[in-house]
Amino acid sequence: MGLSTFAKVCAGAIVGAEALLVLTRDTSDAIRPPGAADERDFLARCIKCGRCIEACPYKALVADASVVGPAVGAPTLDVRSQACRLCEDLPCIAACPTEALHPLQGRSDVRMGLAVINRELCIAVKAMRCEVCYRACPLIDEAITIDYRMREGDDIHSVFEPIINTEKCVGCGLCVERCPVGDPEPAIKIVRDRDEAMLLIEEEQAKVVV
Amino acid sequence: MDVTRRDFVKATAIAAALAAAGGSLATLSGCAQGGQSAQTTTGESQIHTAVCRFCGCGCGVLVETRDGKVVSVTGDPDNQSNRGLNCIKGYYLGKILYGPDRLTKPLIRDDAGTKGTGSGLREAEWEEALDLVASKLKETWKADKSRLAFWGSGQQPITEGYLTAKFWKAGLLSNNIDPNARMCMASAVVGFMNVFQTDEPAGCYEDLDNADVFITWGANMAEAHPMLYSRLTAHKLSGDNVRHYDLTACKTRTSASADKVLIFKPGTDLAIANAIANYLIQNDKYDHQFVADHLQFKTGSENIGNAYEDGYDQSEQGSTVDATTPCSFEEYAERLSEYTMEYASELSGVSVEDLTELAGLFADPDLRIMSLWTMGVNQHNRGTWMNHNIHNLHLISGKYGKPGSTAFSLTGQPSACGTAREVGTFSHRLPADLLVANEDHRRFTEAIWDLPEGYLDAIAKPGFHTIKLFREMSNGNIDFLWSAHNNWAQSLPNLTRFLGMDGEHEGIYNTFIAVNEVYPTVTTDYADVVFPVAMWVEREGQFGNAERRTSVFEKAVDPPGDAKWDVWVLMQVARRVLEGETINGEDAFTHLFGFIWDAQADGFIGDDREINRAIWEEYRIFSNPQLKESAAAINEEKKLKMEAKQLAPYDEYLTQHGLCWPVREVDGKWMSTKWRFANGDQAEGFDEVGIAQYGTQGLAGDVSWYKSTDQKPSVVFRPYEPPAEEPDEEFPFWFCTGRLLEHWHTGSMTREVEELNRALPEALLYMNGEDAAGLGLADGDMARVTSRHGTFDIKVSTSGRVDPPAGLVFAPFFARETMVNLAVHDYYCPLSKETDYKKTCVAITKA
Repeated sequence: MGLSTFAKVCAGAIVGAEALLVLTRDTSDAIRPPGAADERDFLARCIKCGRCIEACPYKALVADASVVGPAVGAPTLDVRSQACRLCEDLPCIAACPTEALHPLQGRSDVRMGLAVINRELCIAVKAMRCEVCYRACPLIDEAITIDYRMREGDDIHSVFEPIINTEKCVGCGLCVERCPVGDPEPAIKIVRDRDEAMLLIEEEQAKVVV
Repeated sequence: MDVTRRDFVKATAIAAALAAAGGSLATLSGCAQGGQSAQTTTGESQIHTAVCRFCGCGCGVLVETRDGKVVSVTGDPDNQSNRGLNCIKGYYLGKILYGPDRLTKPLIRDDAGTKGTGSGLREAEWEEALDLVASKLKETWKADKSRLAFWGSGQQPITEGYLTAKFWKAGLLSNNIDPNARMCMASAVVGFMNVFQTDEPAGCYEDLDNADVFITWGANMAEAHPMLYSRLTAHKLSGDNVRHYDLTACKTRTSASADKVLIFKPGTDLAIANAIANYLIQNDKYDHQFVADHLQFKTGSENIGNAYEDGYDQSEQGSTVDATTPCSFEEYAERLSEYTMEYASELSGVSVEDLTELAGLFADPDLRIMSLWTMGVNQHNRGTWMNHNIHNLHLISGKYGKPGSTAFSLTGQPSACGTAREVGTFSHRLPADLLVANEDHRRFTEAIWDLPEGYLDAIAKPGFHTIKLFREMSNGNIDFLWSAHNNWAQSLPNLTRFLGMDGEHEGIYNTFIAVNEVYPTVTTDYADVVFPVAMWVEREGQFGNAERRTSVFEKAVDPPGDAKWDVWVLMQVARRVLEGETINGEDAFTHLFGFIWDAQADGFIGDDREINRAIWEEYRIFSNPQLKESAAAINEEKKLKMEAKQLAPYDEYLTQHGLCWPVREVDGKWMSTKWRFANGDQAEGFDEVGIAQYGTQGLAGDVSWYKSTDQKPSVVFRPYEPPAEEPDEEFPFWFCTGRLLEHWHTGSMTREVEELNRALPEALLYMNGEDAAGLGLADGDMARVTSRHGTFDIKVSTSGRVDPPAGLVFAPFFARETMVNLAVHDYYCPLSKETDYKKTCVAITKA
């Protein structure tokens, strides 16, 4: 192999690796089943055997449909279509042979992400009596609570605003599945990275929405 | 309707409000186009005022149309109750018109054997469907009048209910007409009638802005009356030390924001109220002057049993339930004395300390207390008694009349008050609180309807109340049933019997059933003929809400396909059935309905607005007897005081966006009465005109119950008697049903709306976590619920949205795939005949 060929191969390898990175970088914010740790840990352990997908009674888990990369075939969720229902016995974790889904004490220890409410889209913030996310939440009054306050400029109505408790929310996504707002998108979403989610929640709370 | 300048200004404001509200306009116009024809939307928008189709709050909405389609529905910012806001049902209200399953052609079932199978209906033309229904009705009518019936609704607009009642009572001379409001408000009605001799609350929604203490008695207002709960909460937040006590058998979302939650054992609310009354008297904390000026005391029939058997109403026990005997205050106090705090605590499970705290509120003369109740109190085997006991408390403590001090029964449906109660579409009623059994009332009605004196004596005996009617149907004793604005095959209790699924009661298969509907329902699955009808703003109509407010909703669009206005259907059937009949030598149909219908042209005389106005103006004579000399004479001679329910001319409701009756004309201006029987300036909403005409000034609290016998409301002692069933080894759980926020009643409209169906797609059995664990049931497991009456399967939730104590479970009734009413018993309050949907005893197993 001549020097130029070697250089070309190296260059190609670098480009290929970068391409792979580009293709795989996206999955770090994919929602993974209960028990999954960060994406690196999860992908290192997951063997794409599909047992958790089979074990899910709600068919909430689906195989990652990425075209290429280490995440292909790994279990993920589209919570708007079908959220995790937080089965008390967590059958997905029980089915995992490699601890890609780490055993948990119970469903309140699940950490799939954090719900973030888009306060400009949320109709409860506008004093409509919605709060669908709050009533749908499997951890009602814990993961989502209501901030009751007077509606500005109206002495006979109050705002019932849903508030995410970042300590308790497990990111199951049932709030996202149930949110009646859909145009242009649901008023609530799950953000997998909790630090990022907390920043977003702070930004939202700072917004003045009337 | 032309777009006036005011409408235009409003439309602009609405467009701005809509933009702020997140663009439901865009979503809705997409829906309208997708569901119907893809018209271009180049036409100009028009705005119509309306009232929400759903609950008894009666929120005002504005309907925007373009090119014959509703493109948006938003809260009416001019409506002083909801001020432009809605709950989630109201937010997506416009979409109920455009569900994919909308009925647009008459349907006929040729083979009754296909009932309940989900098939067997074929499309037909109107003539065939009308001829068929009319011939069946006429045949039954001629053969045996006791074998026909109409089942109506608190969702039927006022003028439609009035005409239906007129056809049934005066046209067919039948009292077999009853509404679903029987299953909703009847206990409140009988309570008001027994205590005050006039129906409906004396107070209004503004009481919510003035109370110091709110007490919810078995009412999940946060979910069932969303916008009023927003108002209650606002007052709590803005007020100084305003408190909310939630008395309930089961923690709900209302409990979640209450200041104190008192969980009592089902049925023992009777004892709690009596213990508070006893406390007030024993501790000399009742209002002496109020008692002396205003009250009379009575005892009533006791040990009245339950309607376990079909013959209960005729039994010695059942036929004497209404009897009362006057007694002294001291005798009343003596009867109460058994209800010590300790006894009530032992029965109810609420601590003596908490009960005493509650009693202390009534003992404080400076506190304004507002009691609020709905189905927990009304759907109760002693529902009427419990209504009495709440009124009793407020009366002896003098907490009645001042803004913020009142006993206010919330109403469930948009026009349970306006139509069922005020028009009187009940088996024992005539319009405006009048009774068929009362001779003076019949004479007065005959005067207004131009009937020969004595004509209505044929209906002096009340007809079948709801449960009696359906029990008779299941026994094979009803040949013709017509229903409108309800879905009884899902909403009635004891469906295992009524739908002929118990192998014993199969009458439903032999009853000819006609149904007015807008979507396929469980009921249309049992219909022989389905009439596709106009829905909500596809015609003009009126609702009367919980605060006696009558509002008009304008026609905004035409009904789809061949669907027709219910009144058109009624006239077509009435014309056919009454053909050849005469009243006073005149054609009977023309005599009764000639004022709106041209028999020769076979059509309405005028448009929707004109027809509604004409019906209203006739109906209005009942509460404005001076409009007709013969009626005025009877009103005067018999001291009927019909003006106590005075209604305004039709157009006033349009220009003023609704008015609360009695509406009084002062210096040429029509004014609401917000606080009945409370003296004060009419312009501020007090009952100045009524008290001047019939009442007495200067009494305690400056109130005067001028419609009550001797101007004195009746405090009737009502004891604690146990529920119709109580848990035992075989059926160890209480089962309670009800509404949840996202869906209206049986879901026939709200489940057609994608957003609402997404928001709450399934009915769940809410259980206490320990109860579930004890049965080996996990959250999400399927359970089988079985009562003495029937069984159904349902998924368990231990999430706590509804958070029952051990021993009680709750499930909503909106889902047709989860027919909870297959198991609910049909035992009713012996006085009101309203079923107790809250206390069926069940067994639960893993399915």
